[in-house]
Amino acid sequence: MNAKSSTSVKLVLLGEAAVGKSSLVLRFVSNDFQENKEPTIGAAYLTQRCTINDRTIKFDIWDTAGQERFASLAPMYYRNAQAALVVYDITKPQSFIKARHWVKELHEQASKNIIIALVGNKYDVVENEEEGSEDSKRKVSIEEGKQLAKDEGLLFFESSAKSGFNVNEIFMAIGHKIPDTSAGAASVNDNRNSERVDLTVNNDSPVNGNANCGC
Amino acid sequence: MSFLSALRSKVSELGLFDQANAEKKPSRDELFRDEFHLPESQTIQIDSAAEVSLHYNETAKNSQDFSSPTTSPLVNGESHVNHNDVFWSGRLFLTEQYLIFKDGFNGRDFNFTIHLSTIRKVERLPSKSYVFGLIITTFSGLRLTIQFIGIRSNSERFSLLLKKSLDTNLGCVKQLKPFLKTLYSEYLMFKNSPAGQDSDLQIPAGGLGLMFKFPGNTKKLRDKSKMRLWFEFMKVNGRNLNIVKQEMFYKLIRVGLPNRLRGEIWELCSGSIYSRYENIGIYQQILDDNADKTSIAIEEIEKDLNRSLPEYAAYQSDEGISRLRRVLTAYSWKNPDVGYCQAMNIVVAELLIFMSEEQAFWCLCTLCDKYTPGYYSKTMYGTLLDQRVFEALVEKTMPILWEHITHNDIQLSIISLPWFLSLFINSMPLVFSSRIIDILFLQGPRTLFQVALAIMRVNGEKLLKTTDDGSFIQVIKNYFGKLDESAHPTSKNETYRQITNFQELLVVAFKEFQDITNDTVKSYRRKHKNSVFSNIESFIKRTQIRNLPKLPNLDTNNLSNIYDRFYQVLETDNIQKGTGSSLMNFEQFEKFLSQITGWVIVSNVADSKNQEEFLHRLFVSWDSEFQGGLALSDVAIGLNKWTYNDLMSMIKTFFDLYDSTGSGYIDKEGMLQMSEGIIYLTRPLREGWVFDSITQREIDQVIAKRMNEYKKLLAENPDNEDVISPPNLTVDEQFYRHRQGERYLSAASKFLQNCFSYARPEQEIDELKTEDHLISIHDDDRKSDYGELATEEYIDEKDKKKSQSLKANKALDPDHPLAMDLPTFRMVILADESYELFFGEILASSIDINKPIKNAQSHFNIRNMFDTLVADGRKVANEVRRRIDDVQSITSPTASTFKRSRATSSASKHQASVDEEEDDDFISSDVGTTDTDLLKGAEVNVLNESKDNAKEKEASSA
Ligand SMILES: Nc1nc2c(ncn2[C@@H]2O[C@H](COP(=O)(O)OP(=O)(O)O)[C@@H](O)[C@H]2O)c(=O)[nH]1
Ligand SMILES: [Mg+2]
Repeated sequence: MNAKSSTSVKLVLLGEAAVGKSSLVLRFVSNDFQENKEPTIGAAYLTQRCTINDRTIKFDIWDTAGQERFASLAPMYYRNAQAALVVYDITKPQSFIKARHWVKELHEQASKNIIIALVGNKYDVVENEEEGSEDSKRKVSIEEGKQLAKDEGLLFFESSAKSGFNVNEIFMAIGHKIPDTSAGAASVNDNRNSERVDLTVNNDSPVNGNANCGC
Repeated sequence: MSFLSALRSKVSELGLFDQANAEKKPSRDELFRDEFHLPESQTIQIDSAAEVSLHYNETAKNSQDFSSPTTSPLVNGESHVNHNDVFWSGRLFLTEQYLIFKDGFNGRDFNFTIHLSTIRKVERLPSKSYVFGLIITTFSGLRLTIQFIGIRSNSERFSLLLKKSLDTNLGCVKQLKPFLKTLYSEYLMFKNSPAGQDSDLQIPAGGLGLMFKFPGNTKKLRDKSKMRLWFEFMKVNGRNLNIVKQEMFYKLIRVGLPNRLRGEIWELCSGSIYSRYENIGIYQQILDDNADKTSIAIEEIEKDLNRSLPEYAAYQSDEGISRLRRVLTAYSWKNPDVGYCQAMNIVVAELLIFMSEEQAFWCLCTLCDKYTPGYYSKTMYGTLLDQRVFEALVEKTMPILWEHITHNDIQLSIISLPWFLSLFINSMPLVFSSRIIDILFLQGPRTLFQVALAIMRVNGEKLLKTTDDGSFIQVIKNYFGKLDESAHPTSKNETYRQITNFQELLVVAFKEFQDITNDTVKSYRRKHKNSVFSNIESFIKRTQIRNLPKLPNLDTNNLSNIYDRFYQVLETDNIQKGTGSSLMNFEQFEKFLSQITGWVIVSNVADSKNQEEFLHRLFVSWDSEFQGGLALSDVAIGLNKWTYNDLMSMIKTFFDLYDSTGSGYIDKEGMLQMSEGIIYLTRPLREGWVFDSITQREIDQVIAKRMNEYKKLLAENPDNEDVISPPNLTVDEQFYRHRQGERYLSAASKFLQNCFSYARPEQEIDELKTEDHLISIHDDDRKSDYGELATEEYIDEKDKKKSQSLKANKALDPDHPLAMDLPTFRMVILADESYELFFGEILASSIDINKPIKNAQSHFNIRNMFDTLVADGRKVANEVRRRIDDVQSITSPTASTFKRSRATSSASKHQASVDEEEDDDFISSDVGTTDTDLLKGAEVNVLNESKDNAKEKEASSA
């Protein structure tokens, strides 16, 4: 049997209220989508294991919740996170502004090598819209997201917790970027290459391609 | 509400807290109120040592006749002192409305809190007795004998004051009866009295539990036995507003309160019953007063109503949801600084199971104030602080576990946060969390820490085996699920086996961690406050600065300084006014600008009118939301506009300030005001407080000229260097000051002349405008643009002045109104050398936002204010020096010759060998050799005197 290595990754979700953080986690952890009624005080903790290239990665997920004022608690949550999902809602421009804020905050305050994925959620809402249609529900273009990701060196995805589109891919991409602590020698570059390959292979969603850009 | 505005309010709130907590010692009254949970209104009137005994009066035991108030408070009655009664010695206190006693042993063996309105009779102990004493009877039959200890006069005074207070409280007695109807204890006592058996007494309004069943199994909870014990207790010791607390009282609470009495005992222990009694009807009034209003808090409350203990039946009904909504809403109006914070919904949902709305409302107020300070604030500083305190306590009491936690990077504070924030309500089943709250209200905030620590201790072994957040949380989750199971399921001992996990938890919490007192908590909070606060502060500052729009003229450093100054100016005033505003008002704006500009002078007497007008104009133009106050972003955006480094942008900024309607044109009135504005801004230059670069250049040239002449002389007379004086490097400042003033005065008059001659008739412009399909702006509209500032007076003044100047100046002939556009204004400015310089360089540099706040604390003075400009002046001066040095180095052979020969000559003169080294040091040289002219020169010299400089002078004198 392969000498499988196991790594656990502390991951925190940040973003404006109601962009779909909890839904993304629920989709990833239980492959489910539902209105969650559970009031979360502070943050909810969930875990999910997945295997990437013979490597078992255990995600310890802190899903932050709550009102605006809970933002001052955020440093407590991202303090020693190795990865972060900064989520916005592609139909809410304000949530993108806030995402920008979170990215900066993480870069300035979180641990140096934190892996950040920028996620524009609720893709399903605009999925069937014609490109560039007048009354599109989309308020944040994919280019804006890509640009921010490029400027700040982030992974970038548009996703839908509702349809499941790209949800696993986000976590996979993060998993790929996590250095293999037990193997030690595995280089970051190798991981990068395999990430691209994996994403293309795994991406069986009908609207693939343009939405993911592993920067 | 935007993120930004939310954070803005956080900052102001934080400032408030920080300063309010500047470690001022609480007063005796504050400590007293805290100890006895009394409202703010109470202060100690008098206190005395006393011995007290409780005498159970059989005849009054079930009397419900509390309608007859104290009519004759002091009567000499027969002796009631039963010598079998136990006397407790301690201290007796009288406040405006309460009589309070505390035993001298531990304050818990025997104490009472009696509202004066419950006292029905006060009798004096027979005078034959050698002690001075009183017998007090309350409506519920409580009969207390009080014997004063100490000097007689104090005892007499006490009883006199008591009599007075009873008289002033007669009014309250009317309120007592209806208030008692809201208390379950009264209902309980009356129901079980002979009179109550056949009366149709109504249950007081209470918690939702009365309608929807209380959580848990009342049989199993043994509510009936608990109720009977309370009944017996209250028969003897009184209740609610007149109660004696002895050991039994605390025991009864520790075993868990009976559901029906729970709400009342909560409000009794927390003291919120006293606030409620003092504020009868206020709850309803707050709701009525705000009935039609909406707020962000209300929106947020609405979202959470269905997520507050949804498993409890009442919260699946309209009744429960509406009560919850009303209490949370009322609180958000009562305390807008907090508004609504998630988790309050859960806490209030719990309170409402056992309490009426009004009870829950006052209880929530007390809870937020005294038990969970700052937990729900906009920064949640209290929550963050207490998590830090909790971690510190774990570290201290369980070092091995703490070591394990840190080693494995387990985020304890995140795990414990919901326990504190929602008082364990969401973490464990309601029957258990209710019992923790029983004790919380009894013992204060330490309870939360004791229970949290006990959870760690009880699960210690298992927790030491976990290595990540997940398994750590799982251990605790499992434990919370088994609280009703036996703690020792395998024990052979039957009673041992019956102890549940929950009971064990309480024992560990209150026995093992009994050393964790409220004072421990307080001192830990003090210790960690600064670091927690500065973390929050820097988080908020980062966020606010990041949220500002991109401002090309301001770097992060500038923004940081602006931020600091903004809130510094705001905070000092917030403390005074007690508001949590994050907007800068006009006075603050003036103060703010006085710190960073060269032209604003607080209490500017000489130029107050011009300053006032200019600043008001500036203030209004920066107030982007028209809210009568400037937000941080307004100030940053405004300052950005006024710190352009190029002439054209500054001219436009200034033009826009006067073109308040954005029409692109300035009328005659506007031109006059512009002129006044520039006159105001250039005052420092006009008065010669500082030289502009034109003046500096002139000075520079004069000095350079002298230098050249000197050089020429030297060159022409290489042998006579001794007799040639080096040039005077000082100038007559007064002369240049005056000259500069004249220049600016003439610039001012030239400005107006030019305005009027270059501006076009308004008619033309109107035509132009219609051609361009621009909306024409009427004069009236423009006036209204002075906005709220346009007081009658202001306009009148303006009009008067206008007509005066109109008469004086032909150009202002009202029959030919003029208007000026930006290009014209630009031309007018560029037509004048001084004004061009002013807009191109001086104006921007007269605003200094580079100075961090620390260096600017000193009081305002003119020197300070012109620091920037003076520094610029110095730069010019240094420039002159540099040029002189250049001259010297170019002619270095000459210079060195000069130097050497001078040394020789001075040596010969003084008949002594003078070291060149020493020679450099002019202070050590003989004063007598320096003539008075030279001294004069040194006095007025604006240039930095250097050694070379002095050396030259010395040489010249030699
Ligand atoms: N259409 C759509 N709705 C979503 C999606 N993800 C979440 N939602 C909805 O958005 C709302 C907020 O979701 P939630 O996960 O609670 O957001 P959170 O506050 O960021 O945790 C809920 O009503 C979700 O059902 C998505 O991908 N598509
Ligand atoms: Mg959520």
